[in-house]
Amino acid sequence: MMQRNNFTPLLLGIAPVALLLLFAVSIRYGAKPIAASTVWDALLHFDAGNADHQIIRHSRLPRALGSFMIGAFLAVSGALMQGMTRNYLASPSIMGVTDGSAFAITLGMIFLPGASSLEMILYSLVGSLFGVLLVFGAAALLPGGMSPVRMAILGTIIGTFMSSASAAFAAYFQVSQNVSFWYSSRLHQLEPALIQLALPFAVIGLGIALLISRQITILSLGDEVSQGLGMRGWLVKAAAMGAVVLLTGISVALAGKIAFVGLIVPHIARFFVGVDYRRIIPCAGWLGGLFLMLCDILARFLNYPFELPVGVVTSLFGVPVFLYLIRKKGGGKHA
Amino acid sequence: MPERSSKAVRRVLLAGFALLLVSVYIYLTKGEFELSVRDVVQTLLRIHPQPDNDLIVFEFRLPRLVIAALVGFGLAIAGAAVQGVTRNGLADPGILGIHAGAGAAIVLYMYAFQGQVIRTGWTAIMTMPLFGLAGGAAAAALLFAFAWQNGRLDAQRMILTGIAISSGFGAFTLFLSLRMNAKDFEMAAVWLTGSIWNANWIYILSMLPWFILLTPLLLRRTRTLDLFQLDESMVRSLGLRYGRELVILLLCSIGLVSACVSVSGSISFVGLLAPHIARRLVGPRHRHLLPVCGLIGVLLVVISDLIAKSVFAPAELPVGIVISLVGVPYFLLLLYKSRSVGS
Repeated sequence: MMQRNNFTPLLLGIAPVALLLLFAVSIRYGAKPIAASTVWDALLHFDAGNADHQIIRHSRLPRALGSFMIGAFLAVSGALMQGMTRNYLASPSIMGVTDGSAFAITLGMIFLPGASSLEMILYSLVGSLFGVLLVFGAAALLPGGMSPVRMAILGTIIGTFMSSASAAFAAYFQVSQNVSFWYSSRLHQLEPALIQLALPFAVIGLGIALLISRQITILSLGDEVSQGLGMRGWLVKAAAMGAVVLLTGISVALAGKIAFVGLIVPHIARFFVGVDYRRIIPCAGWLGGLFLMLCDILARFLNYPFELPVGVVTSLFGVPVFLYLIRKKGGGKHA
Repeated sequence: MPERSSKAVRRVLLAGFALLLVSVYIYLTKGEFELSVRDVVQTLLRIHPQPDNDLIVFEFRLPRLVIAALVGFGLAIAGAAVQGVTRNGLADPGILGIHAGAGAAIVLYMYAFQGQVIRTGWTAIMTMPLFGLAGGAAAAALLFAFAWQNGRLDAQRMILTGIAISSGFGAFTLFLSLRMNAKDFEMAAVWLTGSIWNANWIYILSMLPWFILLTPLLLRRTRTLDLFQLDESMVRSLGLRYGRELVILLLCSIGLVSACVSVSGSISFVGLLAPHIARRLVGPRHRHLLPVCGLIGVLLVVISDLIAKSVFAPAELPVGIVISLVGVPYFLLLLYKSRSVGS
């Protein structure tokens, strides 16, 4: 097997440059034209009385940072899931994790109204855990349920169920509007305070992901290999699930459901850096962040001066890749 | 054997009609404004008509009931035909992305004629299903292009491809609907979630030609559908033009689906549930299956719509959501039962 080592340093070298570039574009351009010098001033000499400065500081800056973070979280979650289950279709949105998260937020809003932001994040985490357990539980019970295609069908269908149930609950208790707010992707409404609250969870999640990346590589080679090497597979799987729950949970809490990032970015990363998850996970993180930032910028311009939901833009890239994966890898079991 | 079976069919049909009668009774009498049976009958038969009752029965409840029934019937037999053609018990036009394709084409049409009041334009409403047909056919073509391998359709991959196609068309629809003006958007958004709140006799008229034309076509092909359960080579050796029949059956189903989608949006799982329930009741022969399946579809949608508008009152839930709450567990059950292991 060809190991494409040489791409890793290149990728990790280019990524920060690309990040800076996209970051600049993201805060410079938007619905309101703001001169570059004003942007600069807003960053260095903030003037609370200036409306443009307020826009930069409180709308565009959190948006740029947030979209990078969320993209990275989702991509790392996807990479972990794909490695752990050896399923090339695994990803937070396909496996019902994001739906579980939004479902829990709906229930929280109905039965425990007036929750603080931190509590919302906790609901979201509980919900994503619930989603993961439900889908994996169903897959484990089903004969052949762990096969990529079956698991993807299960995840999507269970996700549909949870979102229908949320809609029903929301309609019954008449909180539909608030709930749809949580359900749709909304990078344009990221709250800086919420991002700060979410950071510790994210650091823990990413830390776990990087720590177990070596073991994930071994898991991705199959149960026989990992058992032969004397590895306790369930421990690694549990840790990986924990990381996925943390990362996906806070992504949904921050910005609602965003599809396809977690599915396609790990594949792109794998294409460039090979099969070793010690390289895939960091690269997927970088690429995911950049990808979502790019999608967010496109979302602002494809329908200028109005915005598109970022989910439309991610589907634009995601659906063809999804179709390609189904077509190309139909029978294969390995991630 | 056939004798007994057709007796069973008659029994099932009778029971179905009885159930339907009960639901129609509840549908027409209960609601925000209670009517007695006598009121309803008098209104329908034009005996001492009262304007209030006329309004409720003819403008609100009856059109909605008729649409629910038509949609249920159309989606159910289209579902049975698609399941038969693809030999895939998990197939459902909604899951396979045909609804999404038809919906996207219809939204495209609305978008193209933005501003020219679509709600009342006769020709506009009558031609909507035509666009839906084109979109649905495009979705089906994509589905076959991606899921066809080694001369056969892989059941599970087909479902997944359908999911991908529907999310693609869904994104496209969302994109278009956001570019519409506010009024059209509102309409499109409600319509897309699969609800029949905006019932109106014009919509019924726009659906009818499709039903009158395509239902007999499908019913006449029940034998072909039976033969389709065999191997493709076997079908050919029996003197059937496989490709041609496949296309005809699919187009008929898509036409029905798009007529339904153009009126009520995407209501998934009817096309999945009804054929399975019917198959359990009367067995796999399509001659018996299709009528029973249609009746069950009618019942499903009418009863679900009843739930959607009464349980959640005064709020109203899209009927599509009620059905998918029932449909998903059933789909999972089917997935568990189906023997073939994925991939």
